Amino acid sequence: MVEETGDGRPETKARGLWREAWSVFRRNRAALVGLALLAIIALVVVLGPMAYPVDPFDIVGAPKARPGAEAEAPLGTDYLGRDVLAGLIKGGRPTLLVGFCAALITALIGITIGALGGFYGRWVDGVLGRVTEFFQVLPALLFAMVLITLFAPSLLTVTLAIGIVAWTSMARLTRAEYLRIRELEYVRAARSIGASNARIIWRIILPNAMPPIMVSATLATGSAILFEAGLSFLGLSDPNIMSWGLMIGSNRNYLREAWWAVTFPGLAIFVTVLAISLVGDGLNDAFNPKLRTR
Amino acid sequence: MSGPLLEVEGLKVEFDTWDGRVRVLDGVSLSVSPGETLGIVGESGCGKSMTALAVMGLVPKPAGHVTGGAIRYRGEDLVKASDGRMRDLRGNRIAMIFQEPMTSLNPVFTVGDQIAETARLHLGLSPAEARKRAVEMLRAVHIPEAERRVAEYPHQFSGGMRQRVMIAMALACEPEVLIADEPTTALDVTVQAQIFDLLEELRAAEGTAIVLITHDMGATAEMADRVVVMYAGRKVEEGPVDAILGNPAHPYTQGLLACRPNLQLGHAAARPQLHEIPGVVPPLHLLGRGCAFADRCPRAMPRCGEAFPPAYDVGESHAAACWLLEEARAA
Amino acid sequence: MGFAAWLARRIAYAAGLLAAVAILNFSLMHLAPGDIVQTIVGEMGGASEETIAQLRKSYGLDRSFPEQLGIYLGRVATGDLGTSAYYNQPVLNLILDRVPATVLLVVAALGLAITLGTFLGVMAARFPASWLGAVVTIVALFGFSAPVFWSGLMLLLLFASVFELLPASGMYDVAQGATGIAYALDVAYHLVLPAGTLALIYLALYSRLSRASMLEVLGSDYVRTARAKGLSENKVVFKHALRNAILPVVTVAGLQLSAMLAGAVLVETVFTWPGMGQLAFESILRRDNQLILGILLLSAVLVIVGNLLTDAAYRFIDPRIKTGG
Repeated sequence: MVEETGDGRPETKARGLWREAWSVFRRNRAALVGLALLAIIALVVVLGPMAYPVDPFDIVGAPKARPGAEAEAPLGTDYLGRDVLAGLIKGGRPTLLVGFCAALITALIGITIGALGGFYGRWVDGVLGRVTEFFQVLPALLFAMVLITLFAPSLLTVTLAIGIVAWTSMARLTRAEYLRIRELEYVRAARSIGASNARIIWRIILPNAMPPIMVSATLATGSAILFEAGLSFLGLSDPNIMSWGLMIGSNRNYLREAWWAVTFPGLAIFVTVLAISLVGDGLNDAFNPKLRTR
Repeated sequence: MSGPLLEVEGLKVEFDTWDGRVRVLDGVSLSVSPGETLGIVGESGCGKSMTALAVMGLVPKPAGHVTGGAIRYRGEDLVKASDGRMRDLRGNRIAMIFQEPMTSLNPVFTVGDQIAETARLHLGLSPAEARKRAVEMLRAVHIPEAERRVAEYPHQFSGGMRQRVMIAMALACEPEVLIADEPTTALDVTVQAQIFDLLEELRAAEGTAIVLITHDMGATAEMADRVVVMYAGRKVEEGPVDAILGNPAHPYTQGLLACRPNLQLGHAAARPQLHEIPGVVPPLHLLGRGCAFADRCPRAMPRCGEAFPPAYDVGESHAAACWLLEEARAA
Repeated sequence: MGFAAWLARRIAYAAGLLAAVAILNFSLMHLAPGDIVQTIVGEMGGASEETIAQLRKSYGLDRSFPEQLGIYLGRVATGDLGTSAYYNQPVLNLILDRVPATVLLVVAALGLAITLGTFLGVMAARFPASWLGAVVTIVALFGFSAPVFWSGLMLLLLFASVFELLPASGMYDVAQGATGIAYALDVAYHLVLPAGTLALIYLALYSRLSRASMLEVLGSDYVRTARAKGLSENKVVFKHALRNAILPVVTVAGLQLSAMLAGAVLVETVFTWPGMGQLAFESILRRDNQLILGILLLSAVLVIVGNLLTDAAYRFIDPRIKTGG
C-alpha cells in the first residue's frame, strides 16, 4: 500500500510517513467527524460573536428563564438573567485560546526537556529526569491555583500556570522517542558526516519523533482545555471574561432551578474536547498502521 | 503401529487481509511416523510455520481459516475436532516448541510452574507430583542443578537454556509428535548443536515423531529422515533426506542447496562463490495460476506461468512438482 | 537489591524530593506580591508603621529570605507546619483532619476505576468481536472529554434532583448522628456520587489501557506457548496474559495520582465533600499561606507514598525487577 511518488523524486522517510498517515486518516470516519466538529466550533468561536453580538454579561431578561421561554434568549437565561447562548458563543474564546496556548507551552517545555535528556543521556538526563519527577510529584491543579492567585488571575497567568504544571508526560514521551531514535542508522550516518549535535537534535531526530509527539500534543490541548475549564469553574480565572467554565461555576448553585445554564456550557466543553480526542485517536491510528488490528 | 502417526492431506489455509482473502497454504500434504524425523524446509514466509500451527489447531483467529484438507492424527481428523478435543491433544499428544526461546516463556511465572502446568493439566498430577515431574524434565534436558533452577524465572536463563526449558515443557507429557519450529535459529551455533543432540537423544529414547521446521539445510541433513520442501504455501518436493540432498529434482531445492556455504578448507582463491537465489518469495496475494517459483527460476519456461505442475515421481518415494520433470520424461 | 534496601533508598530519595518541593513553594510565596501582614493590615483598615513593623517581626518577615527559608525548613523537618492565620490552629492538625476524607474518596474512585476498567478492557480484548469493544471506546471518549466537575453536576442533577436516589452533598447526615456501622453505611451512601464521578475519568483510562495492553500480550509468543500447552482460553487470558497485561496499568496508576488529586479538588467542591481539596481551595482564596504551604507539601507526600506503593506492587507482580536482569 505504499504510494508511488509519481515524479520519481526520492521521498524522505519522514515525508512518506506523513503522506501515508494522511491517507489512513482520511479513511477514519470518527477522526473526520472530530475534524469537522472542530472546524464548526472554530467558526462559531471566531465569527459567532459578530453574528450574535449580545454581551454575555448583560442582563437581557428575567432570571432563570427556560430555553425558548423568552425570545431574547433562545437557550434561556442564567441565575442573573444573562443570555446563556451569548455566553456559549463568547465563552469559547478564552477556553480555546488558553487551551491551545497552554498546550503549546506544554509542548515547548516537554519537547525541549525530553529531547535534551534523551539525546545527551548521562548526567543531563539524570538532572532533567529529576526535574521531571519533581513536577510530577507537585499536585498540578493545586499548584496552578496557587500560582494564579499569587500573581493575579488573568488569561496570561492561567495559560502559564497550566503550561508549567502539565508538561511532564510530553517530556517523558519525547525522551523515550529520542532514546530510541538516536541509535538508528540514519542518526549514526549523520553523526559520521560530522553533523552538529544541534542539527541532529532538531533537524534529524525531531522530524522522526514527531508522530507520537503530535498525537500527544493534540491530546494535551484537550487536557489543557479541561484544565482551564476547571480553573474558571473554581473562579480562578479572569472574572471579567466570560468562559464556559465560569458559566458552570457561577450557575452551579442554581442547578435545580436553571439546569440549562450549567448543562449547555458543559456540553460545549465536552464536544470540543471530544472532537480533539477523536482527531488525536485518528492521528494515533494513522501513525501506527500496525495497531489497526484487522 | 503401522502407517503414519500424523498425516496432513491437501491442507488449505486462508487469511483475511486488507488486500482480500489470501491463500497461505495450498494443498499441503505430509506425514510422519513414530520415531521418524520429518524436515520441512523453505525460506521464511513459505508456509512452514503455518503448517505447524494448523496441525496444532492454532491458526490465528479470526483472520485465519482452514478451508480445506484434513489433518489426521491416528486416523482422527483434527480439522473437524472440537476445541475441547484439540486442547486435550495439544501439549499432551502433540507438542510444539518455538523459534524464539527468549520470548516464548512467560516472564512472570517460574520455569518450574510452567513445566508443571502441562503435567497437571494433562496427566492430572497433584502440585507436588507435578513439581517433581518438572525437576525430572529439567534433568532430562540436562539443565544443571535442576532442583534449584526449577524455582527460577525465565530471565535468569540463557537463550539455549530457555530452549531446553521449552523442550522440557513440550515433553512433560511424553507426546507422540513434537513439532520443532526453527528451534535453534535464535541460538549460537555451538548451542544449536547441543539442542539437536538433545532432540536426537529424546527421539531415540522415547520414539517421538519429530517434525523439524527449518531453513537450515545443514540441520536437515543432520536430523531428518525425510524432507518436505515448501515454497509459497505449496509443497514442491518430498523425499528421503539422502535423495533430496544428493539428487534434488526441483530447481528451488537445488537453489537452496547451492546456498549452503561449502566448508571445505583450502585455497581461498579456489573457494566457490556463495550462491544465492535471486529475488524473494512473492507476496501471497500476488500469486498467479502458475508455479510461484517461476519468476526466480533459472530454468523457467513459458508454461510455468500458466499452470501449477503436478508432482512427478523421480525416485523411490521421492517426488517433485516441476514441469521440467515432464519434459525430461518426454525426452 | 533486597526489599529493605530498596525501601530505604526510596525513602531517602523521597525526603530529598520533598525538601525541593518545600523550597520551591516557600520561594514562590516569598516572590509573590503581598504578604500576610498586608492582608491583616488591609482587614484592620490600615495601621501605623510601627504596628506593621511589629507584625512583620512577629511573623519573622523582617529576616532575610535565606534565613526565613532555613527556619521554615527546620520547622518542617520537625513536623511543624506552622499555624493557619485564618483558623489560628496548627496547620498539620487541620490537614490531618481532612486527609481521611480525601484518601477515602480517591481510594474508592481508584479502586472502582481500576477493577471495573481492567475488567471491561480485558473482556473487550478477550472477545474482540463483541460489543464490549464499542463500550470501552465510548466510555473512554466520554471519560477523557467530559470535564469532571460537569459530569459530577450532571450526575447530581440526575440522581439527586430528578430521581432523588442519592444525597447531593456532604459526607454524612448530620441530623442522623449515626455511629458505628450505621455511620459507615451513611458515609458509603454519600460516597457513591463523588467516587463514581471521579472514577469516570479513570475508568476511561484503565479500560482503554488494559484493552490495548491485553491485545498486545495476547499476540505475544508466550501466550502462543500457553495455547500450545492445551490450556483453555480462559486460563490463557486470565492466568498467563492478565498478569503481564496489568503491568502497564499499574505503572500508569502510579503516574496518575497527582492528576487524581486534582480531580478530587473539583469533585470535593461539587459535592461539598469535606476533604483536603476543599480546604486547599478555601485557603488559596483566603491567602492563608502557611496552610497552603502545608497542603502542597502533604499532597506531594501523598503522591510520593502512592508512587511507592505502585512500585512495590510492580515489584510484586514482575519477578524481573526483584532479581535484577
